[in-house]
Formats: sequence, structure tokens, C-alpha cells
Amino acid sequence: MLNAAVRDALASAVGPRNVLSDPVQLRSYECDGLTGFRQVPSLVLLPLDTESVAAAVRVCHEHEIPFVARGAGTGLSGGAMPVADGIVISLQRLRQVLEVDPVDRRAVLQPGVTNLDITRAAAPHGLYYAPDPSSQQVCTIGGNVAENSGGAHCLKYGFTTNHVLSMRVVLPDGEVVTLGGDTGEQLGPDLRGVFIGSEGTLGIVCEITVRLLRVPQTVRTLLADFPSVRAAGEVVSDLVAAGIVPAAVEMMDNLAIQAAEKAVGAGYTLDTPAALVVELDGPASECGSQFEQVKQICDRHGCTRLHIAGDTGERAKIWMGRKAAFAAVGRISPDYIVQDGVVPRTRLAEVLGRIEDMGTAAGLRVANVFHAGDGNLHPLVLFDEDAGELERAEELSKDIAELCVELGGSLSGEHGIGTDKACSMPRMFGVDDLATMDRVRSAFDARKLCNPGKLLPTPRLCGERPGRYRPHPLEEAGVIERL
Amino acid sequence: MTTTMLAPTDLKGAHEALADTKGTVSIRGAGTAEGWAGAPLPTAAVLDTTRLTGVLTYNPSDMTVSVRAGTPLAELQRELAANGQRLAFDAARVARGATVGGLVATADSGPLALAYGSLRDLVIGATVVLADGTMARTGGHVIKNVAGYDLAKLLHGSYGGFALLAEIVLRLHPVPGASRTVALDCALDAAAERAATVLGSALEPVCLEWADGTLLIRLEGTSEGTEDRSRELAELVGGAVLGDDAGAAAWKRHAELVGRAAVRVGCRPSRLAGLLGRFGDTAVAGLGTGIGTTSLPLDEVGAVHDAVTTEGGMSVTRRRPPDGVRAWGRPPSAIRLLTAVKKELDPLGRLSPGRFESWFAELDDKEGTP
Ligand SMILES: Cc1cc2nc3c(=O)[nH]c(=O)nc-3n(C[C@H](O)[C@H](O)[C@H](O)COP(=O)(O)OP(=O)(O)OC[C@H]3O[C@@H](n4cnc5c(N)ncnc54)[C@H](O)[C@@H]3O)c2cc1C
Repeated sequence: MLNAAVRDALASAVGPRNVLSDPVQLRSYECDGLTGFRQVPSLVLLPLDTESVAAAVRVCHEHEIPFVARGAGTGLSGGAMPVADGIVISLQRLRQVLEVDPVDRRAVLQPGVTNLDITRAAAPHGLYYAPDPSSQQVCTIGGNVAENSGGAHCLKYGFTTNHVLSMRVVLPDGEVVTLGGDTGEQLGPDLRGVFIGSEGTLGIVCEITVRLLRVPQTVRTLLADFPSVRAAGEVVSDLVAAGIVPAAVEMMDNLAIQAAEKAVGAGYTLDTPAALVVELDGPASECGSQFEQVKQICDRHGCTRLHIAGDTGERAKIWMGRKAAFAAVGRISPDYIVQDGVVPRTRLAEVLGRIEDMGTAAGLRVANVFHAGDGNLHPLVLFDEDAGELERAEELSKDIAELCVELGGSLSGEHGIGTDKACSMPRMFGVDDLATMDRVRSAFDARKLCNPGKLLPTPRLCGERPGRYRPHPLEEAGVIERL
Repeated sequence: MTTTMLAPTDLKGAHEALADTKGTVSIRGAGTAEGWAGAPLPTAAVLDTTRLTGVLTYNPSDMTVSVRAGTPLAELQRELAANGQRLAFDAARVARGATVGGLVATADSGPLALAYGSLRDLVIGATVVLADGTMARTGGHVIKNVAGYDLAKLLHGSYGGFALLAEIVLRLHPVPGASRTVALDCALDAAAERAATVLGSALEPVCLEWADGTLLIRLEGTSEGTEDRSRELAELVGGAVLGDDAGAAAWKRHAELVGRAAVRVGCRPSRLAGLLGRFGDTAVAGLGTGIGTTSLPLDEVGAVHDAVTTEGGMSVTRRRPPDGVRAWGRPPSAIRLLTAVKKELDPLGRLSPGRFESWFAELDDKEGTP
């Protein structure tokens, strides 16, 4: 628990007006987008500059208070969920675009700037920020860095890690350092790359310099219907084999299409078993001929309807359908769980078939809407909590993630491990792999105060903790010993 | 002191080479960057990766490949090319036999970095062996993956000092249908102006380099599109579209110039020309990436370090400077953190001492007993 002295020290670190302690206010920080996991924090700090963040972290370090950084709270793996007796450091009030440099095509941002606001600030210069998570209107660049977030266009342009040049980071003991530099090449080991995607466990990022790209000359988008999910999956493989790198390739199955159509009426075919959104961008002379190739490949796999966006309005409509699908699933099911596993692209058809079988066996429906181009699935397990289906749904969801690992893929493509999938990590990594990650974590955070309990499995969450030997408290007290 | 030679041929051998030995170990690949950065100190053993070779898994349809770290990249590229694929990476020393692991460990990159980044952006997984023999896997075989810490990034630029890279998984790209280079003979400052124009256009160059008197701009794509764009580009900058042979020769000369460099520097792209211009020697400038090299007498390297530091950039030597001249410019801001990471992974300071000069001074002399 936080005693009065610690509360005072934290309040003076960030300024008393930037502290929330009212229970009702604290409650709105109890979870992120994964609402099944909840924990009310002891205190929420809303610092106004990097120095206050560092000062607050130093207080936590000195008094061994666990702390969790928080952006917009849209994370889907329980990463920003508070820890018991810990505080939350919200970066929501640090939302200034500090610099847009159109010559060197980069922007300097505070961590609370939303993903979309970066592109808004860059737009007057004909530039944009490439990674585009579907949550981009609200999620913050700080959260994006922590999760190494991706989006539909990451197939061609890469993820957050490929677009961040440097960062000012408050380390878990309060030291402020710069990771990365002015170019892609840096001095010595790439700590910037280790930090990005570390899910808030290695420090708090307070200033981020990102690369901006020139808006492509042309964008061509098509929506194609297929007689089966398998046929659509084969199109994806053939596109790759043909040497085409589309800006985006997204797939939706019939359940997802129905949900999206109900919500936004974007003009998708209601009874098609599967649809693909394929987008090409770049110089006009390049897009033209490749677009023809894409159409031919679609035809070869029995495409039943091909709709080409005639203008920006039509393109926006196609994307509206795709981006609405997630939330829209709420219209066809009282509750749902999103998974985020990845499989090698050649195994897409296989994994979708097996997910369908697993859903049938569990007596639950699974909708699919996902980044097909990079094999990143988002199976949505539909269930009704009131009908007592929660446990079955969680089980199915976990099994799907672990199936992805079995097929040579990953537990998570973009949402992170967080609280949600920490216990599945031993499915993907061995004891030594996890122990090595833990050694790196210790180097950053010797006292284990920075977002503890996330990303790596812990005994409290999952039973036995893999990793190096740690004395049991009773051993430390000299009550027991292991020989 | 006699030096033990360790030359593992697979992961198990690599594990044994570190687990079953004591004392300091220098990790060495093809030796093409032996003279870069800090001078390796004499060690009890040398771990040579040049027999740790071969493709482990290659499924062209997934566009990923895993290789043992001692595989020469040029050899791998030949195998990939047979399937119309490539690693989109072209550091100058690849032609001289550099290994995949060595290229990662030295954070090297070439002109294509403008479009594809460096190996940190192309490595999607790795198996590493720590100083105590622990084998650890990071990442995986899929291009999109956020599970766990990305330890491969930590080894990018680690100069053998943090762990041995034993196996590496790479993301591949299709070999483009066509490639064209536009060239223009001009001074560096004029080249910088042209570069800004090109970057502001919709032409999407994949390489944009000034190589000692010549601006070279490469386009890649479909054959028709590339022809059209290269003509447009030549007009825009007032240069000429090179034929295939002339293009290849121009890039070969570029690589040779980089190979002769004394110092590698990096800074905001718009400041690079001014920075390199100050030294007046043979230089190569990545006008889009901000990364360049210059060859000047090695005893003048200190001045480059100072100038780069003022610009907030990075610099490191690529030929061994005389005693008393630093190989690295300013150390990174997170040096205390980096030391903590080094201590966790290599607490006895066994691996490749010397490459970072005095960055890890507190770990020096801890080991040393062969
Ligand atoms: C409808 C919906 C669609 C989504 N679509 C996508 C998608 O397409 N692609 C994708 O990748 N994700 C997607 N997400 C997930 C989520 O939006 C991303 O993970 C996003 O990056 C989280 O940002 P945030 O600001 O909300 O972070 P939070 O949820 O507040 O935090 C996420 C993690 O980051 C840490 N953190 C936050 N700020 C900082 C900081 N400044 N320093 C250090 N650590 C910090 C937190 O501790 C936590 O571990 C989606 C979520 C929703 C709800």
C-alpha cells in the first residue's frame, strides 16, 4: 500500500493537480481493451512533462512501488492493466507534436499523441506515418511503441519498429536516456529495437522520433468475393509467389462480412463465403500493370465478384467495412474474444479449416477478419457469457493461439502477450529462451517494478515460473531449503 | 599464450564451444570487418563461424529463410535468386565474403537501406548462444510477430560482445522485374540539392547515393514502369539513364569506395553533405539515409568524431586508427544500461573484449584466465 509519505512524494513529482485518487476516477483505469482482466490502481498520475515522469519513476524505484504506463488503454492483451498496490502513469496529457521536419521527413512526438494525429500533422507536407492500427483514432504512439503495433498496411511498410528512429526513455530507475539516433544505424547494440515491443516492461517512452513517408502517387483498391476461404487463401499465396508486394491484403469470412454489413453497409456481398481486400500503392506506372496481375490471380481462383474502387470515396467505403468488422461482431453476438496468432502464409487455408473444426467441436462460432498478407489471424470467438459460455470461449481462444505456434507461427502478431497470453509463452519458447529474456528485463529493471507480471509467465498467474532459480520466501527466511 | 581455435559446424557445436570452455573468446566470421571499431584484444580462444554454414529451412512460398550464421551472404543470395527472391540488403562487403552473422553483428548496411532498412529490419528470428553456453531463441519464422523481447535487435551492432549468433531467420523479398540507375556527375552539395528534389517526387528511388563525384539513383519495379520512371528521373535531375553494364560498374565502384573508407558516419540526412564536405576527402554519402563514409588519413579521425558529435550523429572507424585515436565517436547515451545488459548476458566479460573500447571498463579484466 502507498503510505502518506509516498503519496506526497508522487504528488510533488508530478504536481498535486495531476494526481487522481478518487475511487470513482481510479475505476476508469482498471482495465484496457481486454476488459476481462481488472485491477483498480492505488493512484493515477497524469504528468505534464518528461521530467515529472522521471521524478515519479524515481519515487517508485526508491519505495519499490510497481508502476504501469498507460496510453489510451486500447491494448488487447491486458498490458496496461494496473497491478495490485501499484500506480498508473498515464501519458494522456503529453500529447504535443513537437516537430514535423518535412526535409528530413520525420516527426518528434510526445507519447500521448494519437497515431492518426501524426499523419494529420504530416499531411500538409504530403507526408504520412505508415503504421496504421485499426484503433488509430485513439491509440497513442507511446502505446504503439510498447506493442510494436502494426496495421493493414504493414505488409509492405513494416511495423512500428521499422519507423521509429529514436526515443527518450525514462528507465525503471528514473534515468532518462536516448535510444536510437538520427539514422537507422546506431552506436552499438540496438537497444531501441529491444525496447520497441517490450509492452511497457522496460521503461516509459516520453518522446519519439518517427520516420514519415511520402504519400504514394496512386492507390488502387479492390474487393473480391470467393466461393471459399480456401480459394481466398490461395490467392494470397499466389500474389506472394508472383512477386507482388501489395500495400495490404485483408480477408473476411462470411460471419465477419455479415456483421460488418449490418453495422455500416459498406456494400460487401452478404452471402459470399469469403472476401479479400487488396490494395496496391506506389508510382502510377507500377500500380497499373500489377493491378492487372492481381485481377488475373483472383479470376484464376474462381472470384465470383470483383469490385474496383472507382474513387477515394469508394475506397474509403471498402475500408470502412473492413475496419468496422471488429466492433460490428458485437451486433451478432453478445460477447466475443479476439485472438491474434500468426501462421506462415502457406498454412492459411489449413489453419482456417482447423479453427472451423475446433469451433464446431466447442459449439461456438468463430468469425475471421484478418491481415492475410502477413498471416496474422484475428479469429473472433463469439459467445454468450449469460449462457455460461465464457470458459469454453477462453479455452477455444487459447487453443487457437497455441495452434498457430504448432503450425510454425506465433502467439501474437500485434496485440502483444500482456497478461492475456503470458501463460502460453512456454508453448512458443523454451525455459532458456524465457530465462534469457528475463535476464534482459533484469538489466533494465533490476527491481521488477515496471509493469510486473506482464509478458513473461509468472507463478502467480501460471504456476511454476520458468527461468533462473529464485529463492522461495520461506527459503530466504531460512525456514526451508532445497538441496 | 596459445590461442585455442573453436570452429563449430552446428548449433550444438556452438553451444559446446562456449559451455565447455573458460576464458575470453573472440567471435570471428569471414574477417571482412576485422579492422572496424575497437581493436579486438588478444583472447584465450577464437570462435570461428566460417564452418557454421548452410541453409536450415527455406520455403520460397513463405518468403523466409533460416541459415547458420557463418553462411556467406553472397552464397545465400545465389540460392535465393534461383527462386526469384533476395535478401533486400547490399552492404559493400557482401562481395568480399561477409557472413550473415557478421553483417548483423556489425550493423552494416548498403544503399538499399533507403527502401528496406538494415538487417535489423530484415531479421525475424535468431538462435543465439550466450557466454555461458545458454542457447536462446528469439522471434520466429513469420514476418509478423510480437511475442517476447526481440533479442535479435540487441545483437544488431553487438560486435560479438553480447552473444554468438548461431542461426538467423530472414525475411525475403521478390527480385524486382527491372532495375535502372540514373547517374549525374556533380559535386556533393549539388547532389544534395538534387536528392531533395528526388525525395520530394513520386518516383520512389530505392537507392540515392553520391559516390565521390557521381550521384547515383536506382529505381526498381516492373520493367515498363521502371523504364518510364527512369526517363522521368533523368530529366528531373539532368542526368543520364545508365545501361545495365554501366549501372553495374557504377555500383561496383560505389562498393569499392565504401570498402576503402576510414570512418562511417550518420546524421540527419540534410546535414550529411555539409558534414562530409568539411573533410574534403573521398566520400560516399547516402543522401536519403544520412549514412556516409569518408576516407581520410587515420590520424585525422578524431576531428570527424568531434564534428559528428556536434551534429548529434554517430561515427565509428572502419580501419584501425593509430594508438591514441578513438575508434568510436561519442558513446551512446544509454551506456549504463548497455553495461547492465552486457553484465547480465556475459557477466565475466568473456566475449570479444576490446571491440567497444572502454565502454564496459568495469567488466574488463574480470576474466582473462584462459
Ligand atoms: C478496436 C481495436 C482495434 C485494434 N486494432 C489494432 C491493429 O490493427 N493493430 C494493432 O497493432 N493493434 C490494434 N489494437 C490494439 C491497440 O490499439 C494497440 O496495441 C495500441 O498500440 C495500444 O495503444 P494505447 O495507447 O491504447 O496503449 P495502452 O493500451 O494504454 O497500453 C498498451 C501497452 O503499452 C504500454 N504503454 C503505453 N504507453 C506507454 C509509454 N509511453 N511508455 C511505455 N509503455 C507504454 C502499457 O503499459 C501497455 O503495456 C486494436 C485495439 C482495438 C480496441
